[in-house]
Amino acid sequence: MSSLRWRATLLLLICTLLLAACSATSSQPAAPVEKTKVIIFVGFGTGTDPDQVSAQEALAKKFNDAHDNITVEFMIVPHDQATERYLAMVAGDNAPQLVGPLGISTVAQFFDQWEDVTPYIEKDGYDLSDFYGPSVTLNKYPTLNAGLPLGLYPSFLFYNKDAFDAAGLPYPSHDYNDKAWDITALENVATQLTLDANGNNATSADFDAANIKQWGYADTWTDFRGQMTMFGAPNKGRPASADYKTAQVNSEEWKYGAKWLHSGVHEKHFMPDAAGQGAIDSASGDPFGGGHVAMWYSHTWYMSEGLNGLPFKFDIAPLFYNQKGERIARVHADLFTIPKNAKNKDAAWEVMKWLVAPEQIIDVCAVYGCLPARKSVEELFKAKLKERFPTIDHGVIFQSIDYLDDPNHESYVPEWSKVNDALNNTLTTIYTEAGADTDALLDTTNQDVQTVLDEYWAKNP
Amino acid sequence: MALLQHTWRRLQGSMRVIEMAAAGLTTLLLAAGAIVIMIPLAFMISTSLKDPAQIRSDANALLPRTLVMQPYNGDTYPVYTVTTPTGTKTMLMLKKAPGGKAIFVDPQQPETQLTLPLAAQQAQYTLDIHWENYPDAMQAMPFVQYLINTLLVTFVGMAGMLFSSSLVAYGFSRFRARWLDLLFLVLLSTIMLPSQVRLIPIYVFFQELGWVNTLLPLIVPQFFANAYDVFLLRQFIMTIPLELDDAARIDGANPLEILLYIILPQARPALVSVAIFHFLYAWNDFYEPLIFLHTKDQWTLAVGLQTFDSLYTINTHLIMAVSVLMIVPPIVLFFLAQRIFTQGVVFSGVKG
Amino acid sequence: MARVSRSLAWREAAAGYFFIVPWIIGFVVFTFGPMIASLYYSFTEYNIITPPKWVGLANYMRIFSGLPEFVQTGDVRQLKDPIFWKSLQVTLYFAALSLPLNLLCSFSLAILLNQKIYGLRIWRTIYFLPSIISGVAVTLLWLRILNPRMGILNPFLRDVLGIANPPGWLQDPDWAIPALVLMGLWGVGGSMIIYLAGLQGIPTDLYDAAHVDGANRWQTFWSVTFPMMTPVLFYNLVLGLIGTFQYFTEVYVATGGSGGPQRATMFYNLYLYQNAFNYFEMGYASTMAWILFVIVLLLTTLIFRSSEAWVYYEGQLRGK
Repeated sequence: MSSLRWRATLLLLICTLLLAACSATSSQPAAPVEKTKVIIFVGFGTGTDPDQVSAQEALAKKFNDAHDNITVEFMIVPHDQATERYLAMVAGDNAPQLVGPLGISTVAQFFDQWEDVTPYIEKDGYDLSDFYGPSVTLNKYPTLNAGLPLGLYPSFLFYNKDAFDAAGLPYPSHDYNDKAWDITALENVATQLTLDANGNNATSADFDAANIKQWGYADTWTDFRGQMTMFGAPNKGRPASADYKTAQVNSEEWKYGAKWLHSGVHEKHFMPDAAGQGAIDSASGDPFGGGHVAMWYSHTWYMSEGLNGLPFKFDIAPLFYNQKGERIARVHADLFTIPKNAKNKDAAWEVMKWLVAPEQIIDVCAVYGCLPARKSVEELFKAKLKERFPTIDHGVIFQSIDYLDDPNHESYVPEWSKVNDALNNTLTTIYTEAGADTDALLDTTNQDVQTVLDEYWAKNP
Repeated sequence: MALLQHTWRRLQGSMRVIEMAAAGLTTLLLAAGAIVIMIPLAFMISTSLKDPAQIRSDANALLPRTLVMQPYNGDTYPVYTVTTPTGTKTMLMLKKAPGGKAIFVDPQQPETQLTLPLAAQQAQYTLDIHWENYPDAMQAMPFVQYLINTLLVTFVGMAGMLFSSSLVAYGFSRFRARWLDLLFLVLLSTIMLPSQVRLIPIYVFFQELGWVNTLLPLIVPQFFANAYDVFLLRQFIMTIPLELDDAARIDGANPLEILLYIILPQARPALVSVAIFHFLYAWNDFYEPLIFLHTKDQWTLAVGLQTFDSLYTINTHLIMAVSVLMIVPPIVLFFLAQRIFTQGVVFSGVKG
Repeated sequence: MARVSRSLAWREAAAGYFFIVPWIIGFVVFTFGPMIASLYYSFTEYNIITPPKWVGLANYMRIFSGLPEFVQTGDVRQLKDPIFWKSLQVTLYFAALSLPLNLLCSFSLAILLNQKIYGLRIWRTIYFLPSIISGVAVTLLWLRILNPRMGILNPFLRDVLGIANPPGWLQDPDWAIPALVLMGLWGVGGSMIIYLAGLQGIPTDLYDAAHVDGANRWQTFWSVTFPMMTPVLFYNLVLGLIGTFQYFTEVYVATGGSGGPQRATMFYNLYLYQNAFNYFEMGYASTMAWILFVIVLLLTTLIFRSSEAWVYYEGQLRGK
């Protein structure tokens, strides 16, 4: 009896083994030989959402129907595993032909990895004049032009009209020339918009800082460079000198910024501290749409269809003028890049041109939420934007480009991730430690960054 | 004598009371722990049934619910139970006002509007369960394809693991040989090196074999035993008395027969344990599949779930729906496995 | 006679080697190569994108240089890579808290769930649930529970237990590690299963014998249950040790891969990961991996040595 059972089990084992072997061999698709395959690796930024996946598949189909020498395939990898998969493919001599959409930060992080497209542009005599100026320069360095521009993500303030109404406050000015809308004005408004569980605002003596239900203002949970760039240091968002040899973290402007953040979080309470950010994230993951933050400084990529269904009215306004009377509004810029190690780079270049061509660029940008980098489609894009978001002031979006941060807060520095980790460690301290001495903190961080740079230059003279 | 008997009976009685009290206390303790355990799960299930709008604005509520809205003057407003100086009333909240207050109106008496502190009033909610999140989540990915891949990886791998690990564990626990102890340490050491530094070479190796983007890297290695399962089985086999083997050997059984007829039946709880663990591992693992499987037609459910976790948009309700769906098969399996698992093993006729 | 016993011994050894052949093949084909490759990387500078460049002991020097000076002066800046040592310290601290607590809790839970109580299968299933739910979703839910502003734990501590200033958990450098330990304890149902399986394997006649000898429950536990469970305890100890030193996924999700606040949760494997895939220093990451390998191997060997004194196997072979 029991021996029978064991024999049956063994038999079953062998069957399953065979089955596994069969299914594994049969699942290998027969690749068409005559066409060059261009794999577009998606996962370093946006593009992995189910809706986006199907939109990208539609794009691939459009390309493949129109071309008989090249086939395009989007390869979607969740963000958290993108680096591992990408590096494994490169190490396996199987690099994808295109990678994107990539922001300035990923271009900088993998700086040595990208093919310089300058020779391709020259060979084709490709006309760049239709692109917005900044979109061409943001991902261009003396030794590397990472690719043709796809789109820009300007930044501005989203504000909750209902919250302003409830506080009896006038809405922020939409006029980019209104100098009264500065950092002090913001602080005033934001403090009055910060409410505790009893409805007291942060100017009230009864205000309960441990029980805040709505914060007045928050900057997109971005990194240290991103939060500092608006304060107008000579290098804007770059933490080092132009030759990348000297760390410049403890400038007067950044020290002002760090102190402003710290007091806004821990003394004036109009910005969420680390626990508050965590609370918002785990409550809904949406600081503005969830009604946790009345003014939310973010980019066009925050504008999803969900905004139209919010339970309150909202609009957008320009970023405020900083303590020096300047306005520096962050910008992100995306493109597709070609890995140096990729095979069939010529085909990759053809696909890159197709993706940013005037016929496609609006559709491609619609997938990723960017503002198309071509001037010639601006009117068409504005019309589409009005259709998607009928209630907001679209002029605010386009004018923001005139105030962008250059050098950009995501731009290249040697050992990009190491430098950023050191800076972000400081940012967390600002957000968690009520007793932190921000001046001293930035001085120490400057030393840490200098050490990283020195090590880099010692290795790469 | 009678007194003694009486005392004895009373003592027995009180023993029973103590035992019952102990059992009651145990149950109480377990119930308290169970509540703690269930809280995250309850949130998971409730979030999976919520409207995305509620996840945005009312995420801490345990129940999927929505505000009761009522039309008034051509717009709709939330309904509140309002405490007024003249008693509680059902009113509409028209507008928030400065100082944490809000303006309320009774639609029957539009002429009187009250401005009262908002925090003191009770918004009215209705239960609002979004069952469609489940079909939506399943339609957002090729669910059946993913399920087939997952089952293939899980069960074929499990068969291979049980087969190979039993043999190897038997080899490591029932035989004396010079190098076996050292080899066992080598086996264990294979899980001491962080997997991150092995990822690249193993990927390159599988690519040379042509196995990348097939299920083979997830299945075939299972047929060659692994440290976790071999170690566990070894520990259990070493608790089985040697006398059982000796008796079988005297009856003329060879080592393979001893494994099949003596060891494995005795080690059944352990075999079920490693099977359960392997199932869970293969069922939930997304990291390796994500590295080795390039195209969607090869993906498993865990990979599909991972792809919902996007950087910029929020699919919390779908993530939770798939998460809930994914825990159902393991729960059922575990519940059923307990039958085999807890039968216990009774050694009979053998004394040490 | 001697010849017969030698040939018997040879046959026994041959049978032993025969049964482990599946693993040996798997080891040679799938495991040995990548392990040796990573050992080689540890002597190189390797950014993955370009081929590795031999640098000898430079990676090891980067870890250990400045260590004697640091020990003398206590000045962290003497160390070439202070984050490495911080990560080792974080990991050891976590292991010291979490390993014993996990062993104790899962063992006690298994004993509780081996009593004759009503609805046993339901209870066991409930306690096993946490190990069924995959990591990421659970960690996210824990982040919400532990959050000092909106979570449900701190109001409970404040209002029910009367703790005036409950900790900031993952936002507080001093409490981040205990928070992660707490999160880990939620999942003890996994190792509980192994104890339960072990408890089923205890021959009932041993309990009968103890009963005949007039032993009470406590005595029976220490003279029968505990010794018979030592093989399982040993297993959970060794695997717990190996797993704890490679603790990664939960902290990666909980801190967004940053190891914050103020590197309070910069676990060894997290720093290793950052080196490998953020800083593109696979060579240095491999060096870290092999140093961890040596530490864990040493500790495991020690535990194995000690096991002869405290682990009891009913079917142990003598004269190995």
